[in-house]
Amino acid sequence: MTDTILALKDVALTLAGNAGMVEILRGVTLNIARGETVGLVGPSGSGKSSLLMLMGGLERATSGEITALGADLTAMNEDALARFRRGNMGVVFQSFHLIPTMTALENVALPMELAGVGDAFTRAEVELRTVGLAARMQHFPRQLSGGEQQRVALARAAAPRPAILLADEPTGNLDGANGAAIMDLLFGLRDQHEATLVLVTHAPELAARCDRVVRLADGRIAGEGMV
Amino acid sequence: MTLALAARIARREMRGGLAGFRVFLTCLALGVAAIAGVGMVRAAIEVGLRDQGAVLLGGDAEMGFTARFADDAERAMMAGMSAQVSEIVDFRSMVLVGEDRRALTQVKGIDGFYPLTGDVVLDPALPLDQALAPVDGIPGAVMDRVLVDRLGLKTGDLFTLGVQRFRLAAALLREPDGAMGGFALGPRTIVLTSGLARSGLLEAGTQFETAYRLALPGGVVLSALQSKAEAAFRDKGMRWSDSRQAAPGAERFVDRIGSFLILVGLSGLAVGGVGVSAAVRAYLESKVATIATLKTLGAAGATIFQVYLLQVAVLSGLGVGLGLLMGAGVPLLAAPWIEASLPFPVAFGLYPLPLLEAAFYGIVTAFVFTLWPLARFAQVRAAALYRGGGHAGWPGLRHWFALAGLIVALLAGAIVFSGSMMLAISTAGGVLAALVVLALAALALRRLARRAAQWGVVRGRTALRLALGAIGGPREEAMSVILSLGLGLSVLATVGQIDSNLRSAISRDLPTRAPSYFFVDIQQDQIDGFLARLKDDPGVSKVESAPMLRGIITLINGQDAGAASGNHWVVQGDRGVTYSDSQPDNAKVVAGQWWPEGYSGPAQVSFAAEEASEMGLQLGDSITVNILGREIEATITSFREVNFSTAGMGFVMSMNANALSGAPHSFISTVYAAETAEAPLLRDLAGAYPNITAIRVRDAIDRVTEALTAIATATAWAAGASLLTGFVVLIGAAAAGVRSRMQEAAVLKVLGATRARILLSFALRSALLGTAAGAVAIVAGGLAGWAVMRFVMESDYAFEPVSALVIVVSGVFATLLAGLGFSWQPLSARPARVLRADE
Repeated sequence: MTDTILALKDVALTLAGNAGMVEILRGVTLNIARGETVGLVGPSGSGKSSLLMLMGGLERATSGEITALGADLTAMNEDALARFRRGNMGVVFQSFHLIPTMTALENVALPMELAGVGDAFTRAEVELRTVGLAARMQHFPRQLSGGEQQRVALARAAAPRPAILLADEPTGNLDGANGAAIMDLLFGLRDQHEATLVLVTHAPELAARCDRVVRLADGRIAGEGMV
Repeated sequence: MTLALAARIARREMRGGLAGFRVFLTCLALGVAAIAGVGMVRAAIEVGLRDQGAVLLGGDAEMGFTARFADDAERAMMAGMSAQVSEIVDFRSMVLVGEDRRALTQVKGIDGFYPLTGDVVLDPALPLDQALAPVDGIPGAVMDRVLVDRLGLKTGDLFTLGVQRFRLAAALLREPDGAMGGFALGPRTIVLTSGLARSGLLEAGTQFETAYRLALPGGVVLSALQSKAEAAFRDKGMRWSDSRQAAPGAERFVDRIGSFLILVGLSGLAVGGVGVSAAVRAYLESKVATIATLKTLGAAGATIFQVYLLQVAVLSGLGVGLGLLMGAGVPLLAAPWIEASLPFPVAFGLYPLPLLEAAFYGIVTAFVFTLWPLARFAQVRAAALYRGGGHAGWPGLRHWFALAGLIVALLAGAIVFSGSMMLAISTAGGVLAALVVLALAALALRRLARRAAQWGVVRGRTALRLALGAIGGPREEAMSVILSLGLGLSVLATVGQIDSNLRSAISRDLPTRAPSYFFVDIQQDQIDGFLARLKDDPGVSKVESAPMLRGIITLINGQDAGAASGNHWVVQGDRGVTYSDSQPDNAKVVAGQWWPEGYSGPAQVSFAAEEASEMGLQLGDSITVNILGREIEATITSFREVNFSTAGMGFVMSMNANALSGAPHSFISTVYAAETAEAPLLRDLAGAYPNITAIRVRDAIDRVTEALTAIATATAWAAGASLLTGFVVLIGAAAAGVRSRMQEAAVLKVLGATRARILLSFALRSALLGTAAGAVAIVAGGLAGWAVMRFVMESDYAFEPVSALVIVVSGVFATLLAGLGFSWQPLSARPARVLRADE
C-alpha cells in the first residue's frame, strides 16, 4: 500500500472571467504518493497551472477535497494555508518571483525565517552553494541572469526541506542550456531531499523524466500513465 | 518574533529608496509644518506675554477703578503692601489742533513714577519726565506717531485736550504697557495727570479709568495679596490684576485664534492625507507580486500587514520630522518680521508642546489614511502571482475598529490641544462633511462624464470626448483631484464668502441703522445746549441721549454675581447704567412693569431681557451694583428688549431716576445725521464743549473691520497651506498618470491624432476637473458662509460672485498647471517604443 501525500477528490475550480463564469477544472481526482515525481502536461488552458496552485493552497477550490500530508487544505483560510506551506511545500514559478529588494541569500533564507528556523542564513548559504551560486549570494535579483534567478528560486523552494515541491514550468523563461541545467538541479534536489515533485511542463523530455505523467484537457484528467 | 521578522523584511523592502514617496513625504511635511508653525508662533507670543507680564502690566500688580480715584483707605493699603505705587488715569478724548483739526485719542495721565517697569521709547529720544515737563507753563505731551502724522503736528506744536493746551515734545514709538489697552479706538497720548487738572476732562461723572501699579518687594505671594485686596475692596468696585496674567484678553485672543488656525491647518493635513493614501496605494500596487510571493513562502496576512505598517511608520516619522523642522525653522527665520508686526512681546524659541501637537496630528493622520490600503493589500492572495489581480475583499473587523480608534484619538487630541470641544468637533465635522461631499461629487462627476462622452453633441469633438472618457474611466484621477484641491478651495471659499458678506453687511446697514456719532462726557449743565444745537440742524434725523454711569454688578440676591450668573459677560467688568423717571419711547418692556413717574421708593431696575434670561434672573430678584464706590441694591421689576447689534444706545440696566440722579454723572448721546452734516456738527459741538468726546461710528467700525480683515488674512494663509498641499497631491496624481497617458497618447498617435489634439484633450480633462473642484468648493463655501452669517452673525447672507469666480479660476489654473506639466513626456514619446515596452 502506497503512502499518499497529496490527494484530490472530485475537485472543481470555477472563476469569474470577462465573459462570465469559466470552468477551469471539472471533477479532478488524483492521488500522489510520497516521493513520487509527477508531470502535469496538456495544452494551454487545460488547467495544469491551476491544478498545481490548488495543490499548493495558492488557489481555493470551488468544490471537492484536497488533502496534503493528511491536512484538509479546503478547510483552511489564507493564513492557515500560508503557515502550512512553511516547511511543507516549496513552489517554483516560471517567472521566478524573487523579491527584488532582497539579495539572493535573503530570498533563500526568507521562508525559513518565516518558519522561525534559527540558522536560516547558514542553511540558505549551503543551499546557494548547492545550486552553484556561492559567488552571487549578495547580489540582488536584477543583477542576476534569468538562469541564475531561477536557481535562486530553486534554492529558496528546497531550502526548508519541504516534503512537496511544486514547479510551474520552471524552464519556460529560459534558453535550452539553462533550462536543462535547472531541470538537473531540480531533480537533483528532489533526490537529495527525497521530496515529492509535481511539475507542470510543456516539454515532453521533461515529462519523460517523471515517474508518472498526468495529461489534462479541458479541465479534466484525459489520461495518465507510468513512464 | 513576528514583529522582529516583519521589521527585517520591511528594512529589506525599503532598500528601493524613497523615490516613490516624494508626494507622501511632502504632503505630510507640509501639513505638520503648518500646524507646528502656527503652534510655535502662538507659544512664542504666550511665553512673551508671560515673561513680560510685569512690563506689560506696568508693575507687579494693579488695582483698578472706574470713574474715580482711590480713596485714602485704598491708598494706605497700597502703600503698605508695595515698595512703590504709580497712578495712571486713562480715558478717551478729542485732540484739537488749531481751529478745526480734531481726532480721537486715548489719553494716559501719569505720575512721576511711570513706568515702574520697561521703557517708553520716544522720537526724539528724550527721557519721559523731560518730555512731559512744562515749558513756559505749558505742560508737555507725547503722542503716537500715527496721530502725530494724522494731525500734521511736529515737535513743539501746541494742541488742546479739553480746555488745556499741551506742547508736543516727542512722538511715542513704544509704551511698555501698550498691549494692555485692549481694543482702543484712538491712538495714545501721554501727559502728566497734574497737567490735566484744569482740562475739565476729569470732572465728577466723566468716564475715565484709574489704575494703581504696584512695585512689590521680593518674596510676595501674589495670590495671597490678591485675596487680601479683594476681601477689602471688591465691593468698592476694585479690579485686581497681576503679572501672572498681565494681558488676559490678548492671551485669550491669541489662544483662540491659534487654536482655530491649527484646526484650519488640520484640514490641510486631511488634504495631505488624500495624497498620503494615494501614495501608499500606488506603492502597495507595485508590491502585489512581492506580497503574493511572501504569502507563497508562508507569510500570514498579519506579517504582511506589519511589514508595510512598519514602512509607513518609518516614512511617517520621516515626513513628520521634516515637517517639524520646517514648522520650527520658518517662524525662527521670520521672527524679526513677525515681531515687528505684532503689538505683543514675542519670545521665539524651540517649544516642545506645539511640536508634540503637530507630530501627534501628523502621525495619527498618516495612519488614518494608510490603514485602509494597508489592510486591503495584506489580503492579496498568493494566486495573484500567476493569475494577476490585486487586493481581495474588505478589511477585517479589527481594522475597522482600529480605524475608528484612530479617528477618536485624533478628535480627542484636537479637543485636548484646542481646549474647545465645540471648536474641535465643528471643525472636524466640517472637514469630514466636506470630504464626504467632495467624494460624492467626484463619483457624480465620473458618472456624468461617462454618460456625457456618449452624447450626440460630443460626437465629432474628439478631444472633448476623450477628456470626458478619461474622467469617467476607471482611473482614480477625478477622485484624487477633487478631494485634494476641493478641500483647500472650500476653506478659501468659506473665508471669502464670510469676509465679503461681513463687509457688505457693515456698508449696507451702517447708513440706515447705526448712528453717525457717539458723544460721551456731556456734563449735566451742557446737555440742554447740546440738544438745542442738534434740534435746529436739518441734517440730523434722530438724537437719543441718556444719563450715563458705570457700575459693576457685585451681588445677585446676596450671592457673588460671578458665581450666581455662571460668570456671564455682564458681570465680568463695569457696565453702562442709566436712569429714567418715566418709560422712554424706545424702551419695549417684555415682562413686568416700569415704575410710576415720580417714583421715590427703594431702587428698581429694568434689565435687558436676553441677558437676564442667560443669567437666570427673575422678576423680583435683587442685584447690587457698585457705582463710584457706592453699593446700590435694586429690585428687578421689568425686563426690556435691548438691541446691541445696531450700534445704537443700549444699556443693560436702567434704574429709577431717584436711585441715581444724585450721583455725579454725565450724559451720552447718539446722533443720526447725514454724512454731509457730520463735519460742521462736530466742529460746532466740539468748539462749544471742548470736554465732550465724539466717537465717529464709521471710524470705530473701520477698526472692527481692520481686525476682521486681519483674522480673514490669517485664515486665508492657513487655508493657503491646505491649497499648497492640495497642489502637491495634484502633482502626485499627474505624475502617477504619466504612464497611462503615454500609452493613451501612443495609441492615439497610431490612430492618427495630432499632438495638438492630444494636448487639447489633456488640457480639457484638467480644466473640467479643476472647474468641478472649484464648483464644489463654491457650494461648500456658500453653505458654510450662509450658516455662519445666518446663525453666528445673525445677519443676512448674499452669494458673493467675485470671490467665487476667483476660486473656480484658481481651481482650473492649478489643475491645468499640474496636468500640462506632465504632458510633455507622453506627447514626445515615440509610439512604437511605448507600445513595444507594454508588450
